[in-house]
Amino acid sequence: MRPERSWWWLGIVVLAAVGPALPAPMVRAVLAQTGGTLVVGLDQEPPTLDPHASPSAVTYQIIASVTENLLYRGPDGKLVPWLAESWSTSRDGRSVTFKLRRDVKFHDGTPFNADAVKFNFDRIVDPKFKAGGARAALAGYSSSKVLDEFTVQVTFETPYSPFLNAAASGVLSLVSPKAVRETGDQVHTRPVGSGPFMIKEYVAKDHTTMVRNPAYARKAPWSDRSGPAQIETVVWKFIPEAGTRVTTLESGETQGIYLVPAQSLPRLEKNTAVRVEKLPWPGVPRIWLLNVTKPPFDDVRVRRAVNNAVDKEAFLATVYRGTGLKAFAPLTAVMLDDPVLRQAYPFDPEKAKALLSEAGWQLGGDGIRSKGGQRLEIVLNAIEYGGGPDPTAQLIQSSLRDVGIDVKIKAQARPPWYEDNYRCATHGPVMFLRSTDPDGLFALFHSSLVGGNFNWSCVKNAKLDEMLAEGRRESDPARRRAIYLAIEKLAVEEALTVPLIDELAVWAFRTGVQGVKYNFNAYPVLSDTTIRR
Amino acid sequence: MLIFVARRVLAVVPVLFGVTLAVFSMLFLVPGDPVKMMLAEFVTNPDQIAQMRAQLHLDEPVIQQYGRFVSNTLRGDLGTSIRSRRPVATEIAENIGSTGQLALASMAVAIGLGIPLGVVAALGRNSWLDVAAMVVALLGVAMPSFWLGLLLIFGLSLHLGWFPATGGGDFHHLVLPAVTLGMIAAAIIARLTRSSMLEVLGQDYVRTARAKGLAWWGVVVRHALKNALIPIVTIFGLQFGNLLAGAVIVETVFSRPGLGRLIVGGILAKDFPLVQGAVLFVAVAYVLINVLVDVAYAFVDPRIRVA
Repeated sequence: MRPERSWWWLGIVVLAAVGPALPAPMVRAVLAQTGGTLVVGLDQEPPTLDPHASPSAVTYQIIASVTENLLYRGPDGKLVPWLAESWSTSRDGRSVTFKLRRDVKFHDGTPFNADAVKFNFDRIVDPKFKAGGARAALAGYSSSKVLDEFTVQVTFETPYSPFLNAAASGVLSLVSPKAVRETGDQVHTRPVGSGPFMIKEYVAKDHTTMVRNPAYARKAPWSDRSGPAQIETVVWKFIPEAGTRVTTLESGETQGIYLVPAQSLPRLEKNTAVRVEKLPWPGVPRIWLLNVTKPPFDDVRVRRAVNNAVDKEAFLATVYRGTGLKAFAPLTAVMLDDPVLRQAYPFDPEKAKALLSEAGWQLGGDGIRSKGGQRLEIVLNAIEYGGGPDPTAQLIQSSLRDVGIDVKIKAQARPPWYEDNYRCATHGPVMFLRSTDPDGLFALFHSSLVGGNFNWSCVKNAKLDEMLAEGRRESDPARRRAIYLAIEKLAVEEALTVPLIDELAVWAFRTGVQGVKYNFNAYPVLSDTTIRR
Repeated sequence: MLIFVARRVLAVVPVLFGVTLAVFSMLFLVPGDPVKMMLAEFVTNPDQIAQMRAQLHLDEPVIQQYGRFVSNTLRGDLGTSIRSRRPVATEIAENIGSTGQLALASMAVAIGLGIPLGVVAALGRNSWLDVAAMVVALLGVAMPSFWLGLLLIFGLSLHLGWFPATGGGDFHHLVLPAVTLGMIAAAIIARLTRSSMLEVLGQDYVRTARAKGLAWWGVVVRHALKNALIPIVTIFGLQFGNLLAGAVIVETVFSRPGLGRLIVGGILAKDFPLVQGAVLFVAVAYVLINVLVDVAYAFVDPRIRVA
């Protein structure tokens, strides 16, 4: 055997051994950003960037300043004009007429007009189109009528006042009709909007890049200046592993991240090179829906006792640690806040015990109450995420044990979890909903949605149904607020749920990044953002 | 030789049949209604559920569904991803390069680290070198890759700034994931090399070679190591499977595109066609690589063919 033949493999071994050590150095140069690029790490990759197809918040975190809406809602919750200059609701509450801006063009040059609005809304309700959250936002949509080039009337089968808030929500943001017709499925990775940023590139499982729209001459509703965005480029990187994501912010590989895990929050808050921003999520908080049809939860005293017994402080001190606030009602405080709701159920184990005794549940030898030989057992429906059930389930379990209730956690995969909720088979699940209109309560409590999404309290209450329908009819903001406050008071009074935590959207940026603003949905709008090296 | 190869290849057929059956059954073994689960996050009406059922041919008899699955697969049609609405085969094709790169690079790390460690340990049997090398190997086997990955990010990316923590593409992005993934295989290869070397070093022909006055190092490399590597070749094939499994974790920790991320994303999105297609692809790749290893083995060691 000739020597070179017997030595080749050793060459590979040596090369492999020293190879990784060779060209290591110039990484800092690769990482260096030009003045105008912001890199933001997100916790997940969006299923799609199509605003009408997505069921997922991450889509709108990315496109909040790419696609624009008829109306805008800032953190104060007030509706202001955006692509619509003005709007009016018809007397019967079934239609809204929008007067549109005349100076708007989509990124591909397509003019924005009433036809474009009609095209977008018709697209969402098209049975052949698999809509995401957008479909529910247009519940009861009948038609859009083009009154003239810049006036459009949107009509619903029944009065539907939540539409105005929906019109300001990312799910009903508008894309170029021409781009949808001509490029079809490309909307999934490159929606063509009209905002200060344009999607330039999408690399699956890695990142998507958006660049400034140089033609943007208007004043964005969140801004106090006209003209294009300040930064040139925003790169959204998909970094699912939380520890890695936090590290990239600390090393400067990214200049911003979304979803700071609770365990890393203290470290980032101590880091002077980093600024943490917390925004309240609108919608339904992390909440336990109590199945009112299943004994012993058919007894309101037991449901109230549970509300007094759950120690929300413990949730904040252990699982949430700065990423949440105590919840008091089926809507988060940013949606609707009132002292009456806040005072309803203070943490009071003694009161809980008294209520349970009053309901006939007496303490047994094993620390668990019983009545007529029946132990006080509750089955909590929880999703098994692979690393055990939702930690909130365990906190509920330990809180309730202290007052003599034995909570069994039914930890299971999503599909059977849903099935059990539809069949009202357990004492209820812990869940949350993101919704920008108080009409989110309709999904939670309307009797028509028992067995569907999401009346998992299985409540059928004629008075609630009537008020929920009234909330949909009423267009006056002050009267709407009164209606939903009454609904919340009833839900709290009847103890249909245990509101647990108002969750916060936690973002962190390098201090050199300034001027990040957020809309009501807690999604960032970046046209006023600047970055300093 | 030809007969041996043909026999090995034929033996693969029932294995592949089993693989398709297992992958196909996934849809039925998961609790709950797969269609409802896939559409759980969407607002749906019964029509859409029926439509999805028809689209996935779930309304047909199971045997017919399986037949369709196999025949489509044979024609390279793995179905359409529910999430991205693109052909699964395209999705796999786009990601195979990145994972292939990672697998090869980590194999290089494994070999480059494992074999020298094993040789050093065997030569200095029971010395401190041996103990040190085997402790390193033990750590490599025992350390979960996500933990090692995070440690490397912490040390080499955050503190020293040598390598980026995330992303794919060029060589710099490859180093940390490859080291993380290669470490486990390196540890196994090191231990195997050690024991194999010890055995060979005790053989007569090694003593003869030394008695002829050949240089010690020459004997170790040309006579001993070459023969000691024979069992290690088999491990390459088996380790390849581990590398693919490890890629699922490593690609997630380092936010690297690839088949592992594709599968994890598919599972989280309840994208059945995508998961089925990707798992099938990985399983077939694993089987075929092991056939190649078997054949290569027969070349390296003619005794195998006889057996």
